Amino acid sequence: MSGTDHEWDEGNPERLYVITRGRSGLAERTVLDLVTLIVSRSKPQPTMQPEHAAILRLCHSPLSVAEISAYLRLPMSVTTVLLADLLADKRVEARAPVPLAQLPDRALIEAVMHGLQKL
Amino acid sequence: MLRAGSSPGGRRSAPVLAWLLPTVVMAAAAAVAVSVVSSGARVGVGACGVVATLAVAAVAVEAVRRGRALAVLREQHGRLEAELRNQLAEQQTQTVRLAERLLPQAVARLQQGDFVEDVLRDADSHEGAVTAEFQAARQAVLRSVLEAVDAEEGLRESAQRAFVNIARRVQAIVHRQAQDLREMEDRHGNDPAVFDDLLRLDHGNALVGRLADSIAVLGGARPGRQWSRAVPLYSVLRGAVSRILDYQRVELHPVSEVAVIGSAVEPLIHALAELLDNATRYSPPQTRVHLTAVEVQTGIAIEIEDGGLSLSEEGRARAERMLKEAQAGIDLNDLGETPRLGLAVVGRLSQAYGFQVSLRPSAYGGVRAVLIVPQELITTAPATGRAHGIGASSGPRPAGSPAPVAGRSLAGQQTVTVGEDEAPMVSERTPNGLPQRRRRHAAPSAAESQAPALRAAVPNLPEPRVAAHRAAEYQAAEPTAARPADAPVQPGMWLAAFQGGVNGQASNGQAPAGQAPAGQAPNGQTAQPGQPPATASVGHNSDESSSGKGEQ
Repeated sequence: MSGTDHEWDEGNPERLYVITRGRSGLAERTVLDLVTLIVSRSKPQPTMQPEHAAILRLCHSPLSVAEISAYLRLPMSVTTVLLADLLADKRVEARAPVPLAQLPDRALIEAVMHGLQKL
Repeated sequence: MLRAGSSPGGRRSAPVLAWLLPTVVMAAAAAVAVSVVSSGARVGVGACGVVATLAVAAVAVEAVRRGRALAVLREQHGRLEAELRNQLAEQQTQTVRLAERLLPQAVARLQQGDFVEDVLRDADSHEGAVTAEFQAARQAVLRSVLEAVDAEEGLRESAQRAFVNIARRVQAIVHRQAQDLREMEDRHGNDPAVFDDLLRLDHGNALVGRLADSIAVLGGARPGRQWSRAVPLYSVLRGAVSRILDYQRVELHPVSEVAVIGSAVEPLIHALAELLDNATRYSPPQTRVHLTAVEVQTGIAIEIEDGGLSLSEEGRARAERMLKEAQAGIDLNDLGETPRLGLAVVGRLSQAYGFQVSLRPSAYGGVRAVLIVPQELITTAPATGRAHGIGASSGPRPAGSPAPVAGRSLAGQQTVTVGEDEAPMVSERTPNGLPQRRRRHAAPSAAESQAPALRAAVPNLPEPRVAAHRAAEYQAAEPTAARPADAPVQPGMWLAAFQGGVNGQASNGQAPAGQAPAGQAPNGQTAQPGQPPATASVGHNSDESSSGKGEQ
């Protein structure tokens, strides 16, 4: 049993539904999408839920919902719920992503790709 | 007459008088009669008188002899009776002693784990003035009672062991399920409908786990999991909240930034969950339950207040008595047909870990349960355990402090805080217009100095892995780092690859190689352009990386 015990040691006591208070982001998904840019409008308060505070700290400069989700290491739906809370409190602002039509040409994308591959 | 004459000389006078007197009187009467009657009848009367005198003498002697024998017998009988009476009294006291002292003592010793033989030998040493038979019979009674008790104890113990054993198995299954669910939640985080179902399953699973923990605790074992590292109090409180049915009703207030030492984490979570369960169960469904923690002289006082019915003085006394009784040890049979495990479990845990629990009327009208965690179970050192990898510690921190984001430790692989690497800022643009992310430099020294300490605090994380992990994080934080390129300047460009990846994935489900990482990002995988997923997940466990591949 000792092997199992050791494994049990890791992880966290809290579950995701506590963070979202049971909401799954079903309603919130209409407003936010993976690439919506989020930027904070206020400073984190000590009385806030830590995840909210973390989002406000992260979003000093615009970050996409997907990125926030990755940094927080929380599933998308959880992030969406948290962001919806902040949006309702007007603590963050959501910006629509850059429209597809205005995307740069293929050459630029390839240049970026090559640049990244050389990293 | 001869025998009477041969009786002992000392006590002669009175008995002699006793038989002599009637003889003399009879002789005198005979003489008077002889002298009175006419001479003709004198011979007959004289003969009759002699015979009568002799007869009276004989009867008198016999009467005296019997009287003496009777006295002797009576004396003997009196002695015998006194003796028997003494014996009876002695036996009675012995029996009373057996019932009132010896037996309870022996049973108590047996329950403490002494052997039957030892207890019997000690009980035997108290010798009273009783017969050997009585002594033997008493020992026999004692032995049979003790053996019965011993057998009963053994039975109870094995029943408890069986309970604990089953509870442990359930716990293992529940835990595995919880891990699986967490992975599924990560995997299906993009699909709210599935995610919703998963959350509900997760919650139900946690409830089952709590029940299994309760049974284990009542069986005399420790509750399920063990934590080797300290866990922030805020996480502990949320952990407790996550294990009750009505968790949405619990209002968690900000708590001071302390951590609970590993060994006390699980018991504290469990005790709090039981108290919270009581609070939510016995208050109206629309009311909220307030959960706060404040520092006090003796440690941390965690308060649970509900807006239910106030506990009457009698009810409070009963509840506290239940807590006390549980501390003394409880029998599973005492729990009754509709077991109210909660307080019994809390009592057990309090006794084992030194929590103090009190129930008082609340200002909200309901009950205020206060659980005091002793100082020695609290640590103020920065906890290495993080709450879901969100902002350093889950506890609220002052605004403006660096925001290290901890590794989510779902799979137990990442517990290292990589402070400044994870707070990206797009602050500059390269000559070709690509935004350049700078690592946050707000408090690099603090974060840097924290890292080795953390590394030391997580001994099971080898150094190379830390390095690899840090490298991965670094690259993740600067996915669009500047490279000289001859492309035109265009703001928002850095999202292009990302968006392309998303769209590509959405349209045909098969993202092109160069764009794949962006599609991965929502799953919590760190996106790394131009690198195969296997490299990307150096710091992750193999399960995660394989699941990431499956997603593509």
